[in-house]
Amino acid sequence: MSYISKQERAVAINPTRSCAPIGAMLANYGIHGAITINHGSQGCATYPRHQMARHFREPVEVATTSLSEKTTVYGGKGNLLAALKNIVERFHPTLIMVCSTCLSETIGDDIPGVIDEFLDKHPEVTIPILSVKTPSYIGNHTTGFDNFLKEIANNLPERRKKKGETNGKINMIPGWVNPGDIRELKHILREMGLHGVWLTDYSETLDGGYYEPRPHVARGGTTIEELRSSSKSLATVALQRHVGGEAAHIYERRYNVPAHVLTMPIGLANTDALVDTLTEITDHPVPETLQVERARLLDALVDTHMFTTGLRVALYGDPDLLEGLVGLVAEMGMTPAYVLTAADNGPWGERMVELSEELGVESEIILKGDLHELHKRIKARPVDLLIGHSKGKFIADAERIPLLRVGFPVEDRFGYHRRAIVGYNGAIALVDEITNLIFERKASAVVSNTLLELGVEGPSNVPIAVCNGSAA
Amino acid sequence: MKFTCNQTLPERAIHIALKGPDGACQRGDGSGCFIASNSATTPGDMTERGCTYAGCRGVVGGPVKDVIQLTHGPIGCAFFSWGYRPHLADSDFHMKYTFVSDMNETNIVFGGEKKLLQCIIEASNEFPEAKGVFIYNTCSTALIGDDGRDVAKQAEELIGKPVVFFECEGFKGVSQSMGHHVGNETIFRQLVGSVEPEGDFSRAINIIGDYNIKNDLRTFEYLFEAIGVKILTRFTGNVSVDELKIMHKATLNVVHCQRSATYIADMMRDKYGTPYINVTLWGIKHMSEALRATAAFFGLEAEAEAVIARELAAIQPKIDAYRQRLQGKTVFIYQGGPRAWHWIELLRELGMETMTAATTFGHDDDYQKIFDQLSPGALMVDNPNVPEIEEILRDRRPDLFISGNKEKYVAYKLGVPFVNGHTYDTGPYAGFVGMLNFARDIDKALHAPIWQTLRTRARPAPVAHHTSHGFEEVV
Repeated sequence: MSYISKQERAVAINPTRSCAPIGAMLANYGIHGAITINHGSQGCATYPRHQMARHFREPVEVATTSLSEKTTVYGGKGNLLAALKNIVERFHPTLIMVCSTCLSETIGDDIPGVIDEFLDKHPEVTIPILSVKTPSYIGNHTTGFDNFLKEIANNLPERRKKKGETNGKINMIPGWVNPGDIRELKHILREMGLHGVWLTDYSETLDGGYYEPRPHVARGGTTIEELRSSSKSLATVALQRHVGGEAAHIYERRYNVPAHVLTMPIGLANTDALVDTLTEITDHPVPETLQVERARLLDALVDTHMFTTGLRVALYGDPDLLEGLVGLVAEMGMTPAYVLTAADNGPWGERMVELSEELGVESEIILKGDLHELHKRIKARPVDLLIGHSKGKFIADAERIPLLRVGFPVEDRFGYHRRAIVGYNGAIALVDEITNLIFERKASAVVSNTLLELGVEGPSNVPIAVCNGSAA
Repeated sequence: MKFTCNQTLPERAIHIALKGPDGACQRGDGSGCFIASNSATTPGDMTERGCTYAGCRGVVGGPVKDVIQLTHGPIGCAFFSWGYRPHLADSDFHMKYTFVSDMNETNIVFGGEKKLLQCIIEASNEFPEAKGVFIYNTCSTALIGDDGRDVAKQAEELIGKPVVFFECEGFKGVSQSMGHHVGNETIFRQLVGSVEPEGDFSRAINIIGDYNIKNDLRTFEYLFEAIGVKILTRFTGNVSVDELKIMHKATLNVVHCQRSATYIADMMRDKYGTPYINVTLWGIKHMSEALRATAAFFGLEAEAEAVIARELAAIQPKIDAYRQRLQGKTVFIYQGGPRAWHWIELLRELGMETMTAATTFGHDDDYQKIFDQLSPGALMVDNPNVPEIEEILRDRRPDLFISGNKEKYVAYKLGVPFVNGHTYDTGPYAGFVGMLNFARDIDKALHAPIWQTLRTRARPAPVAHHTSHGFEEVV
């Protein structure tokens, strides 16, 4: 029986999550030519920039209003007005997103009011300027991303001029994913002959190429025109409930664009659900390419099942990512023994319990958890594999458990932002990597394609006779 | 000297200064005044600066290896300051763990003092081996008026270990520099002198302002020992809270980072009469001078000369070999503060010339030290922002850019060789042996074949073409 438990400590030790502004900044990177102004202390812009640079290995630029002691006492209005003016004049952005911080929220700055005042004073400025609420003390990094999408949905789309007017496209909201995931999703749509409006698309802005000369404005990103027309799309497909699910419903309520909120398409069944939904919306058949990819995934699952079945896995991270991953973990015959998230999200916990019962696996769903808690669980009852972002490496090192790096941030390895974990191709890559991680841990015991060491549940004391050709 | 990117930001002109052919300072606004520094950032100028919390938690307090590093505030401040700066020690508790009171909306409304106290107790129960607790205040908890000092005092009685509260809320200063000051002041007030050990400290020194980035201390600690002095406390790198308590016993303070740590040397001089000397522990000339100055204080000159001669004999041939390969290259250094002036001489020893030097939070004395060492025609920039950095890389075209993680990828996108001066590419870079690592990394950066590949094979960006699949090449 799966069950929910909740960490009761007040102090967080090695958290799995960061805070809201970085989510809004990341999402805004997916809009062509847009610039973020973070209204707060300089650290609130600089820390997330550092973090994003460590993950994406790209230049990351975010402006700050540089609030200081004096502005904190008298309010940050003057600094925000100055920042807006400086950004507009110096960078000519297509859109400005102002996100708040603990500081500006606690002193009660009226950001929308200041933006209105700026636009009144500067009638020549016609670009959209959005305000997104992102104090660190509410929610986590995904909250900022989600709030940004809600602001986009509420403010940018143009109303249909006449009933039934359509752009023939589908609003795609991938959620908090990597550039590689967005590219894989684009591949799926392209193969199905469909066209997407991506909310948002940082597949190239945060995974750019080297060009000589360097382009003046970074290539890539969804354009303001596309966002304006997103109210005329055939449907909205959101692939994470907590990042974009609400925005999809705003499209449905305000613009009559039907919402489809799905589980993150990781693994076979979850990807099938996405493809089926796209087929339903458009009547486009599933193309041969995707059928072949799907069959290849099945083949990979068959080929690897003897090495993965029965393994115990600990997963941690954002709710939507975990929900998707658990599907694949179960398809590989593994048990998601611990599923830990930082959010105190009861409904999600209950859905995960139901899901694990549907999948026939037993899990402990840990809410409001941190990595120290997970470490204690693993010490008490070990697992064979960890799945989550780089911050779990301390557990992996201490307990000598392989870590499959997914999610954000992956800062201690190269290229993970380029990989896809969604779609049939993403799942194939994950199946291969998980199997190889298990092999590598027992590298001395792999001969040809057979594991010599048995008893994958926990350490084995059986002496290893053969060590890749030499005696152990 | 005017930046094209600053046409709409005339206020930046006073933060830019060129050393004229006559050696005079030519400031960007046309006046002869010295460069302006340590002042508020222009809002929205894309500054690289961080906050006071970062300077205190990340730089001064963070390296202390055996205390619970607890952030009093929301989650983000703790997450982003966790485990990325390689201030190593002989144990890794301080690198592996971060603690945070995880303030939520309710705590912000009703106050977080109770929760903070509970956090300290819980954390100390989870890790009984920790020798104390460092608490760092953040913007939100400062604004709601939590009395962290009082909580720390209560907690100290309850857990029987030092609990130190740093008032380093992010908005406090114009840059992270204020955080260094808070860190120094708080550690001095709360810890230094709280224990009176017995023993002979007549040849004990403190190294002040070295953070043991990638084990820098290993490159010079043995040199000081070889001349016959003992390092009592390293402020702060590979240091325990017990060592901080007794640092007042030292006979001499040897100050390395003179921006972030002169404060504590001044306070120790005023309270305990401990004299200090300013040194640079990078490069042949400066490292030798540091050993000589320290030795002179204790009357150990002969020992120092022997150590220097022995070390130079070992590294000089290798340095000479690197100089052959690096001769005549120009450098743009952009560091937090003092490294911009620490390294001008080291680079000269490798045959290279610093043509642009910039700092994030340098004060007037830092710029004076930079200016004195620069050659005519070199440029200084205070608190440079992203467009300025790009313009320097593009138009002044340095052969090498030495800076940090955020700036690295800007350099790479512009095809400029780069060495990470903040956290080091390999390291350590200090001392005599560290200089070989530095030289090797510079050599690697400059002579990697990728730059030739870029020059001969990189192509312009394809014409941007909007499609529903995003930006694609026009076929």
